[in-house]
Amino acid sequence: MPKKVLLVDDSSTTLMMEEMILKQSTPYDCVTAVDGMDAISRAVVEKPDLILMDVVMPRLNGFEACKRMRLEQSLKSTPIILVTTREEEEYVEAGFQSGCNDYITKPINSFELVTLLKGYLGE
Amino acid sequence: MSDISNSAGSETHARMEDIGKQAKVYAARMRLQKAADQADALDGIREIAGNLIGTEEVAVFKVDEKRSELWLYWSFGVDPNKHSVLEVSREPKLKQVLNGKCVFRLRLSNENLLSSDDPVTALIPIRLDGTTVAVIVLFRLFPHKSSLDAVDHEICEVLSNCAGRAIEPHR
Repeated sequence: MPKKVLLVDDSSTTLMMEEMILKQSTPYDCVTAVDGMDAISRAVVEKPDLILMDVVMPRLNGFEACKRMRLEQSLKSTPIILVTTREEEEYVEAGFQSGCNDYITKPINSFELVTLLKGYLGE
Repeated sequence: MSDISNSAGSETHARMEDIGKQAKVYAARMRLQKAADQADALDGIREIAGNLIGTEEVAVFKVDEKRSELWLYWSFGVDPNKHSVLEVSREPKLKQVLNGKCVFRLRLSNENLLSSDDPVTALIPIRLDGTTVAVIVLFRLFPHKSSLDAVDHEICEVLSNCAGRAIEPHR
């Protein structure tokens, strides 16, 4: 059974790009969500093996969504990678405080993304 | 043996870079072609600049009828009061852009593309029926991105060819 990745972003452009990269470079299945609230409900139902989530989103941002996901028993140990536009120390620290496992910066580099995901999910 | 594995590794790297490049160009084109209306097309420009190229400082200037001035039409992340009008006679790079050519800031160059305090990374003509009707200005890139690369140039070409609906909503 292929591993499942939940992609979360309010930008349809980003979702389309990430999905295309993962479909062509990995055996993983992809499901998508468009904001933090949507991500939590999708994650509870879909039980993804990894969550790749943007930080700046309407309704509920990535930091808050990450914190709330860590309160869900079924998502406590799911790897969460945050996608940020900033890599300043305090911003990255806020990501780790929210419970994420890793982060990647925009604009996304396909090699970096696939290598990072394979590090968590394997081939 | 290590030469073979190095070679295989660099092939994999090149293949993934190629997939990433295709994915970005495809996503940019689809986003603009599927724009529901003018506001959505402008939002598409913002999304492409921020998520695919790496800047959250963007402006669109519309070319006036005499083609001597460009007026600020829409912006995101920049002070609109500082950039309300561009005069073609004072901005030599704009002449190339009005002729339909994207102009990029050269890597490691200190030369600014416009006489502006804010660093300009790219000037992108929006073309309709072979005429430049507006210009997208990309200002400062994210701090961790030093310059535009080949795929960014391709994305800018997509913006140039497909962003017309942001200016002419009935296209």
